[in-house]
Amino acid sequence: MRRVRGVLPVPGWEDGMAMPGNTGAPVASVKGLKVTFERAGEQIFALRGVDLEIAPSEIVALVGESGSGKSVLGLSLLGLLGHNSKPVVEGTIEVAGAEIGSLTEAQLRRLRRESLGAVFQDPMTSLNPTMRIGKQLAEVAGSAEACVELLRSVGVPDPARRLRAFPFELSGGLRQRVMIAMALAGSPKLIVADEPTTALDVTVQAQILELIRSVRDRFGTSFLLITHDLGVAATVADRVVVMYGGRVVETGRAPALLGGPEHPYTRALLRSRASLDGSGPRRLSVLRGEGVDSHSDLPGCSFAPRCELAFDGCSATPVLGSFGDHQVACWRAGSAHSPFPEDDPGEQAPAETPRSRGLASVKINDVAVSFKVGRGGSQLALKALRGVTLDIEPGGALAIVGESGSGKSTLLRAIAGLAPIASGGVEIGAGGKVQMVFQDSGASLTPWMSVEELLEERLAVCGVRDRQERRQRILEACDSVGLYRQLLPAKAGQLSGGQRQRAALARAVVVAPEVLLCDEPTSALDVSLAAIVLNLIADLRERLGMTLLFVTHDLAVARVVADHVAVMYLGEIVEVGTTEQILKDPQHPYTRSLIDAVPESGRLPVPLKGEPASPLSIPAGCSFHPRCPSALAECGERPQILKVSPLSRGHFIRCEPVLEELTWR
Amino acid sequence: MAITGIYQSGQVSGGRLSAKVSEVVAQNSKASLAAALLPVAVTLVALLVPVIAPYSPLVPAGPAFVPPGHSGFLLGTDSVGRDELSRVLYGMRASWFSALAVIASGLAIGVTVGAVAAVAGGWVDALLMRITDVFLSLPGPVLAIAVVAALGPGLVHTLIGVGIVWWPFYARIVRGEIRALAARPHLEAAKMSGVGPVRRTLRHLLPGTLPALVVTASLDIGNLVLTLAGLSFLGLGAPAPAPELGAMSARNLTFLLQDYWTAVAPGAGIVVLALVGNLAGDGLRNLMKDR
Repeated sequence: MRRVRGVLPVPGWEDGMAMPGNTGAPVASVKGLKVTFERAGEQIFALRGVDLEIAPSEIVALVGESGSGKSVLGLSLLGLLGHNSKPVVEGTIEVAGAEIGSLTEAQLRRLRRESLGAVFQDPMTSLNPTMRIGKQLAEVAGSAEACVELLRSVGVPDPARRLRAFPFELSGGLRQRVMIAMALAGSPKLIVADEPTTALDVTVQAQILELIRSVRDRFGTSFLLITHDLGVAATVADRVVVMYGGRVVETGRAPALLGGPEHPYTRALLRSRASLDGSGPRRLSVLRGEGVDSHSDLPGCSFAPRCELAFDGCSATPVLGSFGDHQVACWRAGSAHSPFPEDDPGEQAPAETPRSRGLASVKINDVAVSFKVGRGGSQLALKALRGVTLDIEPGGALAIVGESGSGKSTLLRAIAGLAPIASGGVEIGAGGKVQMVFQDSGASLTPWMSVEELLEERLAVCGVRDRQERRQRILEACDSVGLYRQLLPAKAGQLSGGQRQRAALARAVVVAPEVLLCDEPTSALDVSLAAIVLNLIADLRERLGMTLLFVTHDLAVARVVADHVAVMYLGEIVEVGTTEQILKDPQHPYTRSLIDAVPESGRLPVPLKGEPASPLSIPAGCSFHPRCPSALAECGERPQILKVSPLSRGHFIRCEPVLEELTWR
Repeated sequence: MAITGIYQSGQVSGGRLSAKVSEVVAQNSKASLAAALLPVAVTLVALLVPVIAPYSPLVPAGPAFVPPGHSGFLLGTDSVGRDELSRVLYGMRASWFSALAVIASGLAIGVTVGAVAAVAGGWVDALLMRITDVFLSLPGPVLAIAVVAALGPGLVHTLIGVGIVWWPFYARIVRGEIRALAARPHLEAAKMSGVGPVRRTLRHLLPGTLPALVVTASLDIGNLVLTLAGLSFLGLGAPAPAPELGAMSARNLTFLLQDYWTAVAPGAGIVVLALVGNLAGDGLRNLMKDR
């Protein structure tokens, strides 16, 4: 089959025929779908009765936390539930006019080839690492011309050259574009995209979301976009479906649903999300309790145990019913508004007097870090940090933001003494001790040691000899991070994501450090869990008087935890100031682009063009100028210097044109 | 992965039966557990051999060449009238403990060399690994013959000969595992926690090599039993009257056609031990994989 498919324009697409809201037979329709798995002899109720319809050229966002069943629903639509976990499927799945349950394996393959496409979270694992992009694409697209055409249609620059590249030679954003191109190859009616932007930087995420929209507009493809991020859902989806515990709890058109959520879970999800709006550090409101128990098949609302509005009636399973302009599955729909305090402060911090207050400052003095890459003659120096100077006052909280490759984590590791400093130095005031919380807390706990052993070891290293005292302090640390004492003998593998993060925090603060370094501690967590951990870090900082350095790629998170923000690009700080200054009045073009790229309800993200240059070949002059929307001719020649803004003290900007403009203002 | 690659030769020894049983073991976690516990059972039995064995393995107990099952001799008697069953049991006991002893010494040397190389890195690593390569290139049985030739015949000398070449695999495995583990975040976390290098190695690295080592070592039992039996068959074991499986089958080979049991029984003993080792390795590997 050497035919160009997928890139041929759908007849009439220019006339806007393939626009959302087209009525017609749905592309996919799921009725009463129940999926039960068996793992280690236990039954797992992944889906407990789901109804879903996707109209032609509609983008449906499936939102939920881990364990909500959203990925299982996506796999069901693709007919990919697999046999290993012995799924028991009830209900009907109809895709492109075919009932999936009744198809043979061969028919199923044909359906996938001709009507379905899939894009997964990590394109690196979905692409074959040993095959060139061109060959992989040709498997689905046919001729080389068709491949080039496909790559061009998803905005891959210089497509002919990319065909010869291996997956590892492409950036994450480009890989995801290739995945989308592959999904598009068979002119599918529906593409299932499971967290397609979760692993990407904000700026690249905005690009991919824009691509998804444009693919829909041009080819009339429907999308099922699975995501945990309500912001992502809000920016691209026509309709949002919120799932909890294997059921749809709320569904409706995106603006209506996100503007006036009715289900208590959707409301909680929206409130616990760190957003750019509002001012000053604040506590996020949190959901109480742990995630869904997917082992029991009791009737009733799955969310009831965590719901503040739960009453006796919730023991009966609620059904989706129309409420206003969308559909909700909640017995209390309608009564939900009144008793719900609009901005409750979340779980209150225990009012305790601070033990110590702001002991240690952190002075970072022109720190440079470089790594050697390659061997022998072709050895290159990767300049991860190129002279970073920062001054953090005792008890301050600085968020370091930037895209991947900006050097933000390297800076943290240099302060921790884990990265070799080539020049410059780090000075911790008053000889304060430094502790660090790692991004992957599970991996930072030694897998064969129990939480108690790890805490005990930390105490022993710090010279606490007395066993009684050690035990006492371990229990105290446990309480202060909200880790159940019963979990002390547990090992990392036996803890949930949130418990691991608490255990890692307990280890960091069991001997209170003066400086706490956090490397994206919430990026791998669900929204509601991230809120809890962020609140916890804020509490600990308050109580122990720690100076906090917090690396994050998420500006909204920075607003919640920090009083100062430093924005990094390619190993340099491009802008630093108070959180208010950076987020409300960003000056550097890069900072502005970062903020514009954040998906927020009510506005379209403005993607920044391109991706950061490789730290191996940093552009001359201002390193941001190749991507800068307002670059001048001379920006490519003059290296920029970080200078204080003429308008506000403590606000530093590395951009001469902007500084000049501010002076004239 | 290294384990399956390097030790496949050992698994062939049991032939089709072993393959069949391995299949069953692979599909059933209870069978895996049972297989993994087999060496423990065998060790217990081996310890109890002096109680179990009906006769002395060295003193004749009846007429020569009594066929199996006659006059109370379950496996018959040999050319001088010694009880074959007792001799095979004692022989298996000697083989089993010899194999365990070589594995223990191999583990001790290999883990030390591998851990030091991995943690020290640089020239220490390079030096230790080149030494390991030298030993890896020595053919075990030939070296054992040389050692016995130099020190004189005897079981202990054979064991020394084999022990000298039996550690390089372990050193390689430990070094590889530690280097992989050292790149994991938990080690940096331990460093941040202020844990010193020695404790880091002992507490945060070495336990991680245990699964690979246990599986490799148990798969090695079968290999060793065969190697030692082979050497003893060549006359490199304990001297004449001692009950040794290899030597027994070698000496009784001449009677194979008339009085087959005298040569077959010791051979069967070797098969049983090798099978136990391989099954235990398979079982352990499955149990570790499931985690």
